[in-house]
Amino acid sequence: MWGFIARKLIYNVPVYLGIILIVMLALRVQDPVLPQLSKNPSPAEIASVRENLGLDRPFVIQYLDLLKNVVTFNFEEESWTQGGKSVGEMLKDSIPMSLAITVPTLGLSAIIGVCIALVAAYFRGRAVDKILMIFAVLGMSISYLVYIIFGQFFGAFLPRQAFGGENWPFEINGYGALFLGEGASPMNWVSYYMLPVIIGLIVSLGYDTRFYRAVMVEESTRDYITTALAKGAGKRKVIFVHMLKNAMIPIITRVMATLPFLITGAVLMEIYFNIPGMGFQLINALRALDFPVIQGFVAVLAAMFILTVIATDVLYALVDPRVRLS
Amino acid sequence: MITRTPSKRRNWLSFAGVGALVLVGALAAPANGEEKVIRIPMTTAGPGDLDPVQGSTTYENRVCSTFYETLLEYEYLVRPFKLRPLLLEEMPTVEQDGKLWKFKLRDDVYFHDAECFPGGKGRKMVSADVVYSWKRLADPEYTFENWWLVDELIKGFTEYKDAQSALVSSGAAFDYDVSVEGMRIINDREFEIELTEPNQQFAWKLAMFQFSIVPREAVEQFGTEFTRRPVGTGPFVVENKDAWVVGSGLTVVKNPNYREAFYPSEHMPEDVKAGLTEAAGQRLPMVDRIEFGFYVEAQPMWLKFKENSLDYTTVPQFGFEEAVSRRTKNLKRDWRAKKITMDKVPLLDFIFRSFNMEDERVGGYTEEAKALRRAFNLAMDWDEMNEALYFGMALAYDGPIPPGLDGHPDNEEHRVSNSTRGPNYEKAREELRTAGYKIGDDGKAIDFEPIRFYTSTGQESIRIVDLLQRNFETVGIQINPVFVDFPTLMDVTNRKNAPMFSFAWGSDYPDAENNLQLYYGPYESPGSNHSNYDNPEYDEMYEQLRTMPIGPERTVHIEKMRDILIEDAPFCGSLARTRVYLTHPWVKNFKPTETFYTYFKYLDVDMDHPARGE
Repeated sequence: MWGFIARKLIYNVPVYLGIILIVMLALRVQDPVLPQLSKNPSPAEIASVRENLGLDRPFVIQYLDLLKNVVTFNFEEESWTQGGKSVGEMLKDSIPMSLAITVPTLGLSAIIGVCIALVAAYFRGRAVDKILMIFAVLGMSISYLVYIIFGQFFGAFLPRQAFGGENWPFEINGYGALFLGEGASPMNWVSYYMLPVIIGLIVSLGYDTRFYRAVMVEESTRDYITTALAKGAGKRKVIFVHMLKNAMIPIITRVMATLPFLITGAVLMEIYFNIPGMGFQLINALRALDFPVIQGFVAVLAAMFILTVIATDVLYALVDPRVRLS
Repeated sequence: MITRTPSKRRNWLSFAGVGALVLVGALAAPANGEEKVIRIPMTTAGPGDLDPVQGSTTYENRVCSTFYETLLEYEYLVRPFKLRPLLLEEMPTVEQDGKLWKFKLRDDVYFHDAECFPGGKGRKMVSADVVYSWKRLADPEYTFENWWLVDELIKGFTEYKDAQSALVSSGAAFDYDVSVEGMRIINDREFEIELTEPNQQFAWKLAMFQFSIVPREAVEQFGTEFTRRPVGTGPFVVENKDAWVVGSGLTVVKNPNYREAFYPSEHMPEDVKAGLTEAAGQRLPMVDRIEFGFYVEAQPMWLKFKENSLDYTTVPQFGFEEAVSRRTKNLKRDWRAKKITMDKVPLLDFIFRSFNMEDERVGGYTEEAKALRRAFNLAMDWDEMNEALYFGMALAYDGPIPPGLDGHPDNEEHRVSNSTRGPNYEKAREELRTAGYKIGDDGKAIDFEPIRFYTSTGQESIRIVDLLQRNFETVGIQINPVFVDFPTLMDVTNRKNAPMFSFAWGSDYPDAENNLQLYYGPYESPGSNHSNYDNPEYDEMYEQLRTMPIGPERTVHIEKMRDILIEDAPFCGSLARTRVYLTHPWVKNFKPTETFYTYFKYLDVDMDHPARGE
């Protein structure tokens, strides 16, 4: 296994280098210097600022510099738009906020989605199954933005009007520290993050349920299921014990594939709920052409993605004895 | 040897100290002892910088105006806008026809307490601080973001900047101790500024937040962190660097050492009825804390205002139908019943569609070229756009000078005699014929190749483009819209690649010069003259304008420049939006404006109002 991991890491090095290269090239299509300058800048001023920002250096030097920073985990370069704040500080502040929304959403969606899928598979073809799938498709058909807007209105604003703000757990927007910092309290999760999690859960349940049901249905057609049933094993035990265990592989794949995107957060959610998570910061940086932030965030995301893919392969082998790592 | 205060005296001292504290507390706090807090939204992810030299947006202006101060400020209640001394003892003396400006600072201005000062106590502000603060505009470290405000303005300043930039490029440090010929310190309170030529806009600039005064010690000690740890002289302070959370909000608290300053008494007649004069003579600031909330999306801001968790708000587009009567353009009855007040604030806006005068098809100065551009103007229906997008509350006008400024056509229709503002489809067709197009039986130009029209992305832009296409289609003009994000739009216009594009300009100060400079030849792209308009006669008039004293002659001069632009038609214009503010009844002393933001110190709140939410 360790040999496999090592080989995978080595094979992905050029992939990682390529991602960083492409992102850096794509960013430099537009000139980030002029928006930062005076209204009628002279060529000398433009050159001076370009030099200050390090953009006058050959591209190869800029690329190698970024790689050096990434490899040494040096994220001290300052944001161009948030003066005095380093990329590392921004990552440190924003990632927990994103995770406070995405991790519970992913976890709950996986658990609830699997449960619903199991029920649907158990009652396959019958009214229960059909009703569950209709709701799943309905859920998928509604735009994410609609969920957010309705969720904010019906989940926070209206109840607060009806029962009083102090009697309703959800805030319309905002964020609060959970463990560190001024006013930190785990209860802040309920006030500020729980509603976005519920909205995210509703959005993802439709997709997850349909996928997991399909996995269950395919698994239910396997020979071992037929054999078990023929030997007199109870349907409930066959589905909830034997079938679930074997269906875990595609489920794990789906969950693992989502992991890298956890830290980018749910961008729209963060914008509407005023939670300055990683997705929100990245969008702002893209709008403002804040190269250090974009490059730094992409470097972290790409690394996470590659590591997650490797972890998925390893987990596969651990869960399914038929799979060998090679 | 330790001496002990005799016990009786010690008791009296203790009582006196406690009594003093109680008295101060009683004076500062409202009757029920609660801190006065005002909660203000801003429709943005937030300011990018709290350093005045690096700030340029209206959002930076707003927050910086709470903790920084400038030499002059706008009279809060007086219209048309007028300046008054803020850090100065009196208005500056102007000599040599406006070339030499003499200043005398107040004697009671202190910087905020900060660890950069000995003992952490803020020291008195002196003339050297003013000179230092303005020299920072020339420092390449700050990307010359606001250099345009002083370029070629102060004698010797541009030379100083160039010399220092050369030094910095060679590896040396920027030297703030080198003197600038036109900045002369007389003593700690007096200094004079000599301009390169008389300049009437200089006074307005002295009220811009980029000219705020900062202490050298703070900049040097805090370095790049100074952008997050401002130290100024203003009525509020940023408590610590965690008080600002990007994307969420910024909190400022009352400066406990703010000098004696009082609510102004000069006002307009209508301010009496609005209750804006009751606080005259009261000590500033009136609240203990300001909580700025940043809202990228308007929905949460609107909902928080409706649940009384924000003290005032601007009305987002989707909120108009809910709160404002389309017929009367006033608040609906149920909103008035909650005692919410509505203020309509005309903005110093110049919203227009611009042509690239260097473009092969739409540019140029021949009669045919001008006729083509005038045809565009005549085919556009600004009134329809106003109704569709701005609830009919914006103001369509001729020329580039917004309402309220000299040179704005101040008649009922806001038109000039040579108006080319549409819709006038017959005249548009005439102009198209002059431009060389044949008009078919359907009234449309034949063989009109579409013109690329760049505009920013967003719902509003899509609706504008739909409207424009429909207007233009009436006479056969066709545009090919290209939707891009704002940085790309700026990039394309800076490279002179956009034949036609959508743009807007908000005046930096209430003087027509600020709008007319948009067409000054030397300011071509990537400068502010994105049209790349190049008219020597106009340029000469602009250079004269900069030095002309305020008066009827200057107004006539401005009007001539305006009429030249309307004749040459480098743009289709214009529109000025009206921002609608809604204010809850527990907020006092609020007279909204977007020309300046030094008014937060005047705002007061009734914390005991029963409807005020948390």
